Amino acid sequence: MEIKATTQNEVTVIEITGCIDGNTAPKAEEEIMKYVVPGCRLVLNMSQCNYISSAGLRVLLVIGKQILLKNGSWVFAGLSEEIKDVMDMTGFSNFFKTYTTVNEAVNALRS
Amino acid sequence: MLRIDSHPTHTYGDFKLRIGKPIPFGATIVPSGVNFSVYSPHATRCELVLFEKHAPQPFAIIPFRDEFRIGNVFTMVVFDLDYENIEYAYRMDGPFDPKEGHRFDKTKFLMDPYTKCIGGRDIWGEEPNWNDVYPHRARIYFDDFDWEQDHPLEIPIEDLVVYEMHVRGFTRHLSSGVKHPGTFAGIREKIPYLKELGVNCIELMPIHEFNEFENSRISPVNGQRLINYWGYSNIGFFAPKAGYAATGKYGMQVDELKTLVKELHKNGIEVILDVVFNHTAEGNENGPCISYRGIDNKTYYMLTPDGYYYNFSGCGNTLNCNNPIVRNMILDCLRYWATDYHIDGFRFDLAAILGRDQNGAPMHSPPLLETLAFDPVLGKCKLIAEAWDAGGLYQVGSFPSWGRWAEWNGKYRDDLRRFLRGDDGLLGAMAQRLQGSPDLYQWQQRGNRASINFITAHDGFTLMDLVSHNWKHNEANGENNNDGGNDNYSWNCGWEGNTDDPVINNLRIKQIKNAITMLLISQGTPMVLSGDEMGKSQGGNNNAYCQDNEISWLDWGLLKKNVQIFNFFKNMIAFRRNHPVLRNGTHFKNTDYMGSGYPDISWHGQKAWYVDWSSGSRMIAFLLCGKHAKGGTVSDNYIYIAMNMHWEMHGFELPKLPGGMKWYIFANTDVPVPNDIYSPGEEVLIENQYEFLVGPRSVIVLVGK
Repeated sequence: MEIKATTQNEVTVIEITGCIDGNTAPKAEEEIMKYVVPGCRLVLNMSQCNYISSAGLRVLLVIGKQILLKNGSWVFAGLSEEIKDVMDMTGFSNFFKTYTTVNEAVNALRS
Repeated sequence: MLRIDSHPTHTYGDFKLRIGKPIPFGATIVPSGVNFSVYSPHATRCELVLFEKHAPQPFAIIPFRDEFRIGNVFTMVVFDLDYENIEYAYRMDGPFDPKEGHRFDKTKFLMDPYTKCIGGRDIWGEEPNWNDVYPHRARIYFDDFDWEQDHPLEIPIEDLVVYEMHVRGFTRHLSSGVKHPGTFAGIREKIPYLKELGVNCIELMPIHEFNEFENSRISPVNGQRLINYWGYSNIGFFAPKAGYAATGKYGMQVDELKTLVKELHKNGIEVILDVVFNHTAEGNENGPCISYRGIDNKTYYMLTPDGYYYNFSGCGNTLNCNNPIVRNMILDCLRYWATDYHIDGFRFDLAAILGRDQNGAPMHSPPLLETLAFDPVLGKCKLIAEAWDAGGLYQVGSFPSWGRWAEWNGKYRDDLRRFLRGDDGLLGAMAQRLQGSPDLYQWQQRGNRASINFITAHDGFTLMDLVSHNWKHNEANGENNNDGGNDNYSWNCGWEGNTDDPVINNLRIKQIKNAITMLLISQGTPMVLSGDEMGKSQGGNNNAYCQDNEISWLDWGLLKKNVQIFNFFKNMIAFRRNHPVLRNGTHFKNTDYMGSGYPDISWHGQKAWYVDWSSGSRMIAFLLCGKHAKGGTVSDNYIYIAMNMHWEMHGFELPKLPGGMKWYIFANTDVPVPNDIYSPGEEVLIENQYEFLVGPRSVIVLVGK
């Protein structure tokens, strides 16, 4: 798993490549948490992420709660239908907003 | 803060270990590792076996060191496990001495009885590897879940309308239109339907992990594969069935089921689980060795003096429910489901077994039932007994309850069916059934809360089949029609099975309406069988436990075909939920304790205030005084119901209402749609306020307001 961050119109776009599972979840948490600062606006670009295990989903939920505490916001972009389905059926999608493309996600955070 | 005991003390190969904590049993995620704990008083040696997920052979076998046994519990912490990607088993050595009750086999990989997640049957019906050395695999799963504000609903039991359903059968038929047919997620998509129907509780047939391939065979009748579709055969008591989850292939069935419960609660619907603590899937001495038999046969099973298995369940073995260890396992299990899954209640399959001692004799005060009745964690859970077993113990009305246990009222089912088909001599029994069966429950002051009223359940005919068949038709089950009950008290209305005769078909629909009306105006808790609300038939199969096909699956196309049945159910359920006088918690007193001029309940016939109780009579009516609703704590309308199960029309003189009030018709099963039933509150004023002509085999419901 690789994590790469760029800035697009004052929004941080974090791209995840590979999968987030029990092995990679701690690293994902550590990397993403670097950008969790008061008032942060983050897009998680998942278009290159092919699998998230339940450990991975839990880490994302924990990060989401940290962002809320810091009055920040984050949204997801580019989820595959399979991952989106799993997130729906296991209740995780209740906690995340998702958009089809990164541009839509960035615009949503800017409006 | 790092704990000072969160470091290893021993190594075994590359594994770092330390002594674990014996309680809780099972595999528990702890800082830096996993705590394994398993009880066996007779094993001489125990090993922990680790597999990579789905791997044919283990990658590690770690013996429990002698000092890792505390009392009769083997326990150790294994550090740095990638627990999301492993499966674990135990191997136990000990005596093989069946006469003494021991059947240890140190070559067998044994599933942890306390495992919370089981792999091996991840996708329903997918052909398993029959040579798998470890077919049902214990996994380690996260127990955290964000329930947000969710809490069990704690709806008083007398206010429930229970809907008994099968997870797979509910949406497996392609006509269901859901994205993931036959799953927990599929039920979630159908929540709007359940709300429209108006039920506020679903009772799920067994959802614990079971092996659908158990006893699978080919039907001699139609060549279809027969499997264990119902699932009354537990592999693990703490784990949801993976094959019922669309995410089971990812091992996320725990989260999917919790999400379903949370969504149901959000929509005001409780969840009751049908739990099967009377036996396991290990069968008798010829059955597979999955877990219990190899871990501690003598503790988990009731054994004859020769070491064979007692068979009070009809399924080969009997769980030793009143052994203190097994009793604790059942308690731990129910507490887990109540706490971690927010389950609202439990229905205990063949619960009479739970009251037998270790030799099989019925007990006066069975410790297990008492423990459950008084358990603090289960304090608000519904506890419902199927108060009989396959060994001939029948306890409807006498199940040891401590005022806590409700019962599937089998006598209600039988009396209602006989009255419905026109048997004579039933008025006395019907008067009892309609008012919560005080003949069965009053002596213990159990009130209406003791009686789960039902006419149909998964066992037996569907409601459509009940009015279409005189005999069961179970040939497709491959047992020469010898399986399934013979006491169906059914009537085919003049022709066995399907017919084009409109007279017979109309009579069948009327009988269905009669049945559901009587069920929903009875005191006690009504339970309807999923599919009855749209006229589902199983072609006369009254024991479809092995039919994973169109016989069992709910065909949602019926909703259109039988829209009048659905509308009738929906309005009858709404009527019950609108009228507290139908939902009293305690029995009637048969007096006017509110000073309204009317007793809480009064009985009527062709003449008001007079019933012909003679054995040839098939007519009875009763009036509920709205001032006495819920023991006089709330006010409701007056409700009058007349039932004429004679094949001729009869006039019923209506009791006089208090000044200023009039009778309005809510339902009349004798007239065609749309005048058979109205939306509650939109009842129609009747012209003749003194007498009502009730059609042959018909029921009317009037509201006085």
